Amino acid sequence: MATPVTVEPAPASPHRFGRITLDMRQNLPPWKQAVFLGGSLAIGLVISIVILAFAGISPGELAGELAGVANADSLRNTLVQAAPLILVGLGASLAFRIGFWNLGIEGQMMFGGIFATAVSIAEIGPPSLRLLFMGIAAALGGMFWVLVVLLLKTRFRVNEIIATLLLNYVAMYFLFHLLYGAWQDARSAFPQSTPYKPFERLNDIGFNVNAGLLVAIAGVLVAGWFIHMSRAGFYMRFISSNPGMAKVVGVPIQTVTFWIVAASGACCGLAGYVNVASQEGRLTQSFADGYVFSGVLIAFLARNDPIVVAVVGFLISVLFITGQQLQVFYQIPFTMVQMIEAIIVIAVASSEFFIRHRVRWIR
Amino acid sequence: MSVALELEGIRKSFDGVVALNDAVFRARPGEVHALLGENGAGKSSLMNVAAGLYAPDAGRIIIGGEAVSLSGPSDARARGIGMVHQHFKLVKPFTIAENILLANRRPSYRGGMQDIRAAIKKQAAELGFDLDPERRVEGLTVAEQQQVEIVKVLVGGVRILILDEPTAVLTDAEAERLLETISGLAASGTAIVLVTHKLHEVKKYADAVTIMRGGKTVTTLDPKQATAAELTELTVGQTAPLPARSQRGNTSTMLNVGALTYARPDGRVMLNGATFFVRAGEIYGIAGVSGNGQAELAETLIGAREPTSGEIFLDGVGNVGNAPATRRAAALAAIPADRYAYALAGGLSIADNFSVASIRSGRYGSLAMIDRAAMRRDAAAAVKEYDVQGVRNVGQKAALLSGGNAQKLVIAREFSREPAVIVAHSPSRGLDARASAAVHESLLAARERGAGVVLISEDLDEVLSLSDRIGVMNKGRIVAEFDRPADRQAIGRAMVDHA
Repeated sequence: MATPVTVEPAPASPHRFGRITLDMRQNLPPWKQAVFLGGSLAIGLVISIVILAFAGISPGELAGELAGVANADSLRNTLVQAAPLILVGLGASLAFRIGFWNLGIEGQMMFGGIFATAVSIAEIGPPSLRLLFMGIAAALGGMFWVLVVLLLKTRFRVNEIIATLLLNYVAMYFLFHLLYGAWQDARSAFPQSTPYKPFERLNDIGFNVNAGLLVAIAGVLVAGWFIHMSRAGFYMRFISSNPGMAKVVGVPIQTVTFWIVAASGACCGLAGYVNVASQEGRLTQSFADGYVFSGVLIAFLARNDPIVVAVVGFLISVLFITGQQLQVFYQIPFTMVQMIEAIIVIAVASSEFFIRHRVRWIR
Repeated sequence: MSVALELEGIRKSFDGVVALNDAVFRARPGEVHALLGENGAGKSSLMNVAAGLYAPDAGRIIIGGEAVSLSGPSDARARGIGMVHQHFKLVKPFTIAENILLANRRPSYRGGMQDIRAAIKKQAAELGFDLDPERRVEGLTVAEQQQVEIVKVLVGGVRILILDEPTAVLTDAEAERLLETISGLAASGTAIVLVTHKLHEVKKYADAVTIMRGGKTVTTLDPKQATAAELTELTVGQTAPLPARSQRGNTSTMLNVGALTYARPDGRVMLNGATFFVRAGEIYGIAGVSGNGQAELAETLIGAREPTSGEIFLDGVGNVGNAPATRRAAALAAIPADRYAYALAGGLSIADNFSVASIRSGRYGSLAMIDRAAMRRDAAAAVKEYDVQGVRNVGQKAALLSGGNAQKLVIAREFSREPAVIVAHSPSRGLDARASAAVHESLLAARERGAGVVLISEDLDEVLSLSDRIGVMNKGRIVAEFDRPADRQAIGRAMVDHA
């Protein structure tokens, strides 16, 4: 069983530079995996630094900007930005663990924001409980939007990748419909809702920390418990490891899938809530932009582990905030930040290849 | 007459299990030579030796009068021996031409492609196959894929063509066509070796037949001179009479299977009204030539597959429908043939794999908090009780266990819940003698306890020695039933009857 699977060697090549062969590796010790992963990450960062240098930011200036994250104002912004990133990372991780490719993060965020705003507009509940009700509504909104897809998938075998992705557009136009229509702030010409009342906003609680981050940390703890300690999490490992076997030994596949997908949507809904209730203070048309990619990225880099999601989410937030500053001070387009994200993903993804294969050059 | 391929005194063993013991074989050019035998008789092993896949422990391979040693399949191919395996070796997203080029290397891709296309067209025309070299393999029917395999081998200039149970995957009409084609090919001078179970094919198409049993060659004769009954007798052999068993007084029915049918997505009917019942304290053996629906029956019974129609009644539960969880609650235990498909999650730990089946009972913690300590404790105890070897700690991955020990782990888990009905499919496949004996003891112990056991196996000896009653499966249904001690010859005839 431990013998390496070898690709049958090709006949000797007539070319002078020899040939490259690939062998499958069975098992690589964790420290070597870490070396490959770290090495790829470093290569990705070097490529990013070179590209930024060509865009006019010298490595010295870049280091200065990154160090600037440590100052109080930037740190606050970073932590505020980290909350929704961590939440979408959790949403993606949960769904990916059972092979449900939830690419509808943005749509679910929008419905989270819409449901929360509905609670605000309808003035449901007393002021002291309003924030809580908005949060619950947001979680339900995100859940609703992803469960539509689960229904389509289980009933009609619709591919969830396409369905979640395309429903983002449906959610977006529904959001526009509200913001250009019934919910538009009468005192402004912009497509945005009336600002929330002060007690409907997630405020700072000291130490540069916004209450939104508490929501994200609570999410991390709950997701960590769910995956590592609950019975559903135990079942989940069997569903992803061997669905055929899980079915035969009596794992309630449909129930577990339902709750995990619902939890994934709830996390994304909460991300929308955190964004509108802390950063924006009202429903806007762009509060969910770009989060599909970030969520997938964070889940991928964190290998779907909630605790690691928190760390990666914070680092991506640093990248975001630094990117915003570069945008302001150096006129770098924000797409540059997304490009750096992409370079890092490709670098990490390629490390996977080297962890699984041994490349040899035979002359 | 000259001899194309001669195998002399071939021996081969795998991890101490003897697969071939002094096997002899001799095929002449221009003949269709059938190789007949039960599952495990050594037919495929012997042909894998001839095709260079296995290096024999002892014996001589003589090709065209010259003793050779084969370093691998490509060496065998270079010497004119090609084999078409039961499981096709094709790259599905590639076109026919690309697949054939892959197996028949040419110095350059572009020139090679032109060359290969021309060769495919020529070869296909000779055989009467309608193959477009540019079609992708994934879009082809099974019969067409087989044609590609045959053309692939013949394009390489093969003069000895080995076909391993070629008709097992075909419909009757397709099989007929293929065998006609092969006869034509033999007439043009190629030696054909036809590995098969099917007597009527041997009688109709083979010029010679070699019969194998237990890794040895029994005899070679002209099938036209022998009756089907004689061939069956030579194939299944005689066994020592079995000790009669006391019937248990309890005769309540534990499992009732009624008119079970299953059609594959491609329309092929694999189960065609299978009906039988199993009493308490009884082992009901299901014998048959592989591919007659046994795998589908086992998968349907354990809940891995949904039947097209029919009923599965469990004592005290009624029709279980297609909810595996209902079966579990009714204490149905599953010991599937493919352990890593339906019994174990190889990437997860032994403790996880052991406890997953009974976690619902609350034994391993509540919904909110699983009890890993209890899982480890029980798993460790079960590993000890069932003598699962090679376990350093129960946290290690199940995939690291050898076949026999993985099977013991499955049995430990399934028996930990005192099952009322046990479905075992080829439970000793791939196990050595000691591990097989342990598995058989477990099944007999369950019988003693009063469980109803369904034993589906392609190993006739296993079925004969363990079963109280035997049903023979042929073309998706139970065609005959025998009480213990059953007549081996009669079972053999029912298995191969071409009804």
